[in-house]
Amino acid sequence: MSNSQTTSAGIGAGPRSALSAWAHHHRQAALISLDKLIREPIASFLTVLVIGVALAVPSLGLSLAATVQGQISQIDAPPQLSVLLRQDTSLADAHKLRTEMLRKPGIADVKVIDRDSALADFVSATGLESLVQRLNRNPLPHTLWVYPSANTRLAGVEQLQVDLGSLAGVSQVILDSRWLERLNAFTDLLRTIAMVLGAVMAVGVVLTLGNTLRLGIEARRDEIVVIKLIGGGNAFARRPFLYTGLLTGALGGVFGGLLSGAALLILDAPVKRLFDLYDQAPSVPSLILSELLMLISIGAILGLISAWYSVQLHLTRIQPR
Amino acid sequence: MDLVFDRVNKRYERREALSDLSFEMHSGEMAFLTGHSGAGKSTLLRLLLLLDRASSGEVSVGGRPLSKVKESRIAKYRQDFGVVFQDHKLLADRSVYHNVALPLEIAGFTKRDIDRRVRAALDKVGLLDRERASPDALSGGEQQRVGIARAVVARPKILIADEPTGNLDPQLSAEIMGLFSAFNSVGVTVIVASHDLALISRMSQRILTLDRGRLITLGAGSRGMNE
Ligand SMILES: Nc1ncnc2c1ncn2[C@@H]1O[C@H](COP(=O)(O)OP(=O)(O)O)[C@@H](O)[C@H]1O
Ligand SMILES: [Mg+2]
Repeated sequence: MSNSQTTSAGIGAGPRSALSAWAHHHRQAALISLDKLIREPIASFLTVLVIGVALAVPSLGLSLAATVQGQISQIDAPPQLSVLLRQDTSLADAHKLRTEMLRKPGIADVKVIDRDSALADFVSATGLESLVQRLNRNPLPHTLWVYPSANTRLAGVEQLQVDLGSLAGVSQVILDSRWLERLNAFTDLLRTIAMVLGAVMAVGVVLTLGNTLRLGIEARRDEIVVIKLIGGGNAFARRPFLYTGLLTGALGGVFGGLLSGAALLILDAPVKRLFDLYDQAPSVPSLILSELLMLISIGAILGLISAWYSVQLHLTRIQPR
Repeated sequence: MDLVFDRVNKRYERREALSDLSFEMHSGEMAFLTGHSGAGKSTLLRLLLLLDRASSGEVSVGGRPLSKVKESRIAKYRQDFGVVFQDHKLLADRSVYHNVALPLEIAGFTKRDIDRRVRAALDKVGLLDRERASPDALSGGEQQRVGIARAVVARPKILIADEPTGNLDPQLSAEIMGLFSAFNSVGVTVIVASHDLALISRMSQRILTLDRGRLITLGAGSRGMNE
């Protein structure tokens, strides 16, 4: 019977096509892994927790950086410019400058603040009346408040600052955007930290999950040996572990997504307050959803990588080959 | 599938487990492999299953020299064999049914075919009513019959057993050997290693006797033993 197997014992049809067998093996392996996760809930839960936190922390950092920078770029009603005039510039010259400025593009409105009313405002705001009375003259210059038009972005306003500074009679133009620049730099830093942290955490996830899977492989050593003895290759033996890795990683992604989603919800109000722009904030729910999907994918990919690494390191070494 | 051992040597460090071993077995034949403990029976079977490779000489199965079988093809190669172990090697966390189903899962059979074949195999070894039991709940003889069902369920071309009756009483041992004869009678090539000469000499099949790694007889049944 060297060239036929029809004479051997048993009934039924032969193995199905290679493709459908492959698909069937995968379904089977996925079910076995799911079953294992459910049967060992504590160990699985802890691993999922660790992966979730590892994914949530950098992703939250990146989301916050993106949110804040998105807000900064969205600021299209930039802050006013305070144009301090020279001490020797008269109120009449100030009004002439106002007319001149209003002809420039990018300027919506200009208000003249005369030095006496500015001082009065200062006194009423601070209550430092006695101090002011001791001065023999008003130290404040006349000031123009320049309102850039609504469609001018931050860069345009900065250009305006330079232009207005060169006008005759102008001493100094103050643009109160330093804090925005600082914030921008800070969010850049936050993003960098988050990315470095993300890389470190990814390695951590691979090592942690890889180790969990190693224990799983050790626990099923007998089964792996028997599978190999009766003709199951490494591909068949490793499949449940690859699925366990994929599934655990994806569940970690779900948990991480929920965690960072909750954090984003909590941080939503402070971030909005920071910009005082209640109407322009991106919708948090859609952000959470996209983040959830992203973390599930990243978790699944990391899980698969961990499983692959663990299987290559431990399962394929189990004798027989 | 014909088996050919051609001047095979297998050395483990200093000890020579098999020395200059040559013999042939034809497709559909059945043979007992006997000899004292340490004679090299298991080593011979391990070479056949590519669990180990010969130090020199060549083993061929179905005309294919095993030295040419790549590592990556070994699993596929083993699927032509059914193997019965002395310690059964059943998986305790699977039912009898799912132990027997394992080779079919590996070979990629459909659920329906698996079901039919597992039941047929369990029926042949008389354990259809225990399909849901855990192997731990079975007696030694029953466990070995599950092991045999698993070995034959995927219709192997060659059935190999290494001391399959090692832990069983004479009556059960005779039953197990009877099962092997039955599978051989439907065309499966069967090799059974056993040091139980009393049991083997009552069977009518060919006997290969190993002594310290060398083949000393090529006989059949009691006739072979008396030559
Ligand atoms: N993996 C191994 N390493 C070293 N020596 C071995 C190994 N396997 C078997 N042997 C030796 O080879 C000889 C044959 O062993 P074996 O084939 O198991 O004999 P049998 O199955 O007939 O009892 C014995 O002397 C044994 O000690
Ligand atoms: Mg032995």
